[in-house]
Amino acid sequence: MPLIEIKNLTKVYVNDEVETPVLHGVSFSINRGEFVAIMGPSGSGKSTLLHVLGFLDGYTDGSYLFEDKEASTYEGDAMAHIRNKKLGFIFQSFNLLAHASVFENVKLPLFYSDIPESEWSKLVTDAIEAVGLTHRTDFDVTRLSGGEKQRVAIARALVCSPEVIFADEPTGNLDSKSGGGVMQTLQDLNEKHGHTIILITHETYTAEHARRIIRIKDGLVESDTEVSERRHTNGGILIK
Amino acid sequence: MKFKHSLKTAYRGLEQNRARSFLTILGIVIGVTAIILVMSLGQGAQALILDQVKGMGTRTIIVGGGREPKGPSDAGQIFNDSLKKRDLELLERRENTPSVKYVMPLIFGAAGASYQSDTYNLTIFGASPLMEKIFDMPFRSGGMFTDEDIRARAKYVIIGNKVKTQLFGADDAIGQVIKMKGYNFRVIGVLTEQGQSAFNFDEAAIIPYTTAQDYVLGIKYFNRFVIEAVSDELVPSASEEVSLTLRESHNITDPTKDDFFVITQVSLANSLSSITSVLTIFLAAVAAISLIVGGIGIMNIMLVSVTERTKEIGLRKALGATYKNILTQFLLEAVMLTGLGGIIGILLGAFFSWAIATGITQFTSIAWTFSFPVSAAILGLGVSGAIGLIFGLYPARTAAHKSPIDALRYE
Repeated sequence: MPLIEIKNLTKVYVNDEVETPVLHGVSFSINRGEFVAIMGPSGSGKSTLLHVLGFLDGYTDGSYLFEDKEASTYEGDAMAHIRNKKLGFIFQSFNLLAHASVFENVKLPLFYSDIPESEWSKLVTDAIEAVGLTHRTDFDVTRLSGGEKQRVAIARALVCSPEVIFADEPTGNLDSKSGGGVMQTLQDLNEKHGHTIILITHETYTAEHARRIIRIKDGLVESDTEVSERRHTNGGILIK
Repeated sequence: MKFKHSLKTAYRGLEQNRARSFLTILGIVIGVTAIILVMSLGQGAQALILDQVKGMGTRTIIVGGGREPKGPSDAGQIFNDSLKKRDLELLERRENTPSVKYVMPLIFGAAGASYQSDTYNLTIFGASPLMEKIFDMPFRSGGMFTDEDIRARAKYVIIGNKVKTQLFGADDAIGQVIKMKGYNFRVIGVLTEQGQSAFNFDEAAIIPYTTAQDYVLGIKYFNRFVIEAVSDELVPSASEEVSLTLRESHNITDPTKDDFFVITQVSLANSLSSITSVLTIFLAAVAAISLIVGGIGIMNIMLVSVTERTKEIGLRKALGATYKNILTQFLLEAVMLTGLGGIIGILLGAFFSWAIATGITQFTSIAWTFSFPVSAAILGLGVSGAIGLIFGLYPARTAAHKSPIDALRYE
């Protein structure tokens, strides 16, 4: 059973009675433990696809099965609970709480979870350790570099042990060295810890950290290929 | 999300904009301060008035000539000459007024009293020896005149403490002669200091009513009858007997046309209390308007805050915050702001009313007591919290309704 299975998924935005179709019938499935990059140029519909897959937005037609359950059966608070329990998000602009420590930021999703408070501290510490920021735990996030900030966001995405992590252009605001570090962290989470990762990017060299690349163009799947030679980052240098 | 975490989150939200949070609550602070101040001063005034009324004695009934003054236009009615000697005689008859113990006629007027080169303006009371019993007057020295002095129109006077100090200083006043309206009066008694009471005896001279009528004030009627009922329970029947007797004496059949009025301590206390209560409520209502203005300020700032933190709201929603979580967070921020404003307002209001009470007692002879209106404090806190809820609801709903995607995209 795939973790995510979409069939003929369409999404039409309606604004002031003007209809803007964005997804025209997208189909693919993603299994647990996969690292998939969704690529496409601006306006291709990749961000919309991420929003739908991430339970941040609904879809117009077609089917989206998450853990074999139709996503459209979830509404409002149920969507919020799925996002909290099953999904982790990493954004291009980090979206950290300013004037809060690394620890506080990573803890944030736990406030909305039903995980007992007694376990929070360990979960946060483990998540921070997983991204290699233990030495920065009590730092105010405003004092961190861009790469470190994104790793805090990764730790935050990890803290509730989600089924899948969505990364929306995670290296978009970083220089190539920091970006490479962030991608390596994601790759490690996938390879060593078996986390399912769905990456949205328009950069080929970032997408090549994944095992599989789904290319979207004009709201349709253009290609769906395995990556034969994965990119690895070592000491900031990209080795093919 | 647990409530304590919601509280913490709301507190952090406010903490990040300390100066703005402080300025926002000023409106609420001023409103609550004004309410507490008005209510506290109102209570103080009420306590003072009731204290003076109680000085009248619980069994005391006062009968005045003319209609009871109900407003400024009735002021002239106070000086009515309807109470005559015949009325006094009728009231003194046991068979007419079985519930009445004492009836004392009282007349009063202003006069200057002089001793050697000193003159002092005082109030002259023309009374009978019963005055001592009815008002429980404590003598510093000397004593009361007698019924014989009444019949003889004796020119004896009992003076209040302040009159004694002004005219005689530390010297003994008993046996001395003071001059009032051209007549010489021998001082036979000096009262101890009484402070504020229903009648200000400190600045008074008490003489036999016959002497007052014939020599000093030149009138044939009485201003008041001061009556004491046999017991507290008999006050209502005593006042009824007095009314019936006077109506009969004055040939009045329609009680609405009475040319006299009867006040008991209870009726006086009730009417004065209701006047001060209405005034206090009115003033508090005016002060409450500033709370509404403060509430609008809170709403305004909360809306700005929601817009500023759109991205944060989107993030929280993406991480699993529900509609209720976001609503609670922003509502709590508003309620914390107004609640804090309420607490500061209560403290300031209590401080100012205490300062005013202290000032009044220090610089005047009025025995004003500071009272902290607990009910007003609870009300002030409740109302300010409610204002937070009411005026915070719209901004909080705006925040909670934001779609996570739109909020995340917001720049």
